[in-house]
Amino acid sequence: MTLMPTRTILLACAIVLVAIIAGAPFVLNEGILRLATECLLLLTMAQMWNLLAGYAGLVSLGHQVFIAFGAYALFLTSGWLEVTPIWVLPVAPLVAAAVAAIIAFPLFRLRDAYFSIAMWVFAEIIGAFTMKSQAVGGTSGVPLATSKLIDFDWFEPTMFWLAGGLTLVTIAALYKMMTSSFGLGLMSVRDNDLAAMSVGVDVRHNRFIAFVLSAAGCGLAGALSFMGNLFIAPLAAFDVNWSVYMMFIVIIGGIGTLEGPILGVIIFFGLRELMTGPLGLSGGWYLVGLGIIAVVVMIVAPRGIWPALRDRLGVRLLDVHRAAPRPAAATILPGASERVTG
Amino acid sequence: MIWVETLINGALLGGLYGLLGIGLALVFGVMRVVNIAHGEFMVLSAFCAVLLSNLFPQVSPLLMLIPVIALSFAVGWLYQAAIVNRVVTSPDPLSPLLLTFGVSVILRNVMVEIFGADVRSLQVGELSRASLEIAGLNIGIMPLLTLVLAALLFMALQLVLRHTEFGRIVRATADRRDIVRLSGVKPDRVYNYVMGLSLALGAIGGVLLAVRSGFTPFSGAERLLIAFEVVVLGGLGSFWGALLGGIALGMAQLIGLKIDPNAGLLYAHLLFFIMLLIRPSGLVSSRV
Repeated sequence: MTLMPTRTILLACAIVLVAIIAGAPFVLNEGILRLATECLLLLTMAQMWNLLAGYAGLVSLGHQVFIAFGAYALFLTSGWLEVTPIWVLPVAPLVAAAVAAIIAFPLFRLRDAYFSIAMWVFAEIIGAFTMKSQAVGGTSGVPLATSKLIDFDWFEPTMFWLAGGLTLVTIAALYKMMTSSFGLGLMSVRDNDLAAMSVGVDVRHNRFIAFVLSAAGCGLAGALSFMGNLFIAPLAAFDVNWSVYMMFIVIIGGIGTLEGPILGVIIFFGLRELMTGPLGLSGGWYLVGLGIIAVVVMIVAPRGIWPALRDRLGVRLLDVHRAAPRPAAATILPGASERVTG
Repeated sequence: MIWVETLINGALLGGLYGLLGIGLALVFGVMRVVNIAHGEFMVLSAFCAVLLSNLFPQVSPLLMLIPVIALSFAVGWLYQAAIVNRVVTSPDPLSPLLLTFGVSVILRNVMVEIFGADVRSLQVGELSRASLEIAGLNIGIMPLLTLVLAALLFMALQLVLRHTEFGRIVRATADRRDIVRLSGVKPDRVYNYVMGLSLALGAIGGVLLAVRSGFTPFSGAERLLIAFEVVVLGGLGSFWGALLGGIALGMAQLIGLKIDPNAGLLYAHLLFFIMLLIRPSGLVSSRV
């Protein structure tokens, strides 16, 4: 298999997806469109969490802080400048990335679980300050001051297009990144940091870049998510459940793969619609159900459902996103993967 | 004078925080696992104590500690045997973290659905209000008893780990999981007892904290963060360091509350973060 057909398939799929996203608002009703927007934003966040946990080996339990920073940055700048929130969207990832770059210094001294929980403590500290500060609305939060500038006839479709565009760009960028030398460096650190360092991979630098990018993506997705609500309050923005959702989606779908979070999001929302809809259960039981699935997956298939499925069936349906795990092997030994799986 | 009193009360609260941390430190020291569900198990034990004292209103709630401790030990044993042991040897250090985090989410939401989200507390009657007056300082009996109990437990744990056969086995398993098998020790079974012990210690902290202040099913996260901060401040793997770390956090919290009445745990968190910047190895850097 040469590179050309893969690239053509990828391109064709991208065009089809763009067409679907462009056309969807004209077909779907508003409720489904909102749900789809939510799915896409959570998928982006999960991909960002996966970039950090699955590729850089850093589990963050405080990623809600970047969602909150992005969202608050959008709400406040839009209010100060009095322009439509869409035009100040770039502020959200920039602020989240800047915060990540600063706190990386103390946090990167800690390893594994200590990093995870210190992130959580950081999120709690920022959350507590936000609730105290009247300038950002305190505990009651702030509405989107410039919501009168929004054209509400096109609001839901625009949100959907933005979310869809962000998701596609994120996945494409991650795919590109994971096949670049930076991505290979990241994965080599994850697989064996000692070996990676011995061939000259700068572990700290790679982790830093992944951390900042992950924060930026979550900031942008968080800003879009709260922009859709036209309102932000600290309890919702700094909710640890953001991290719970991202983690469960990644763990269930498949950590360290690009397709995993896509499968995870489908299970996440499928289960939610099933349990809170026809079964009439509360949100708490839904989280219990999701947690049980995650725990069972972690025990039975620690790498997640997607890698297990891929290995067992030998089917590579979502081949478009693959090539990320072992692109070098495919070029050195053409046909090797077919022999193994066949 | 009021500040001296605040500092003393902070130190007394610190004894309790030390208790929260020690269970987490024990599990981390022996099996290199941070049990994220530790806080939820503490809240669960507090709910058990409340349920038992509602069933038997004539018995002092503090006596409920005995069945709750026994129950927590059993729960910890089963939790380790059924779930945590399956990932404890995983080559990926993140697996236990993610797994215990998943368990904590399950426990939290089960408690919300069963007990509701109302604030509960454990009433011990007169004892919670009784206080001593020493040199013009007002010191609560209950916090004093808590600190004494914490110090006794720390000592007992130290003695057990240093001088008993069980302690030697635990330390050997912590050092070389693979080698102890040659002497006929089953590491997984040792882990079961250690997790039981950890949750039993957590139950004491959880119940005593429920006497001091109200709790909801969502309090687990708060308790885990305190326990974790105690362990890191105290220096990883040091028991007496954990007590010192707890005292530092207790003081920071109460001084913070004096300055700013609705600060909650903010100042304890800030102290932790500042310490992380200037002394990442903790207050005391010795080993068990």
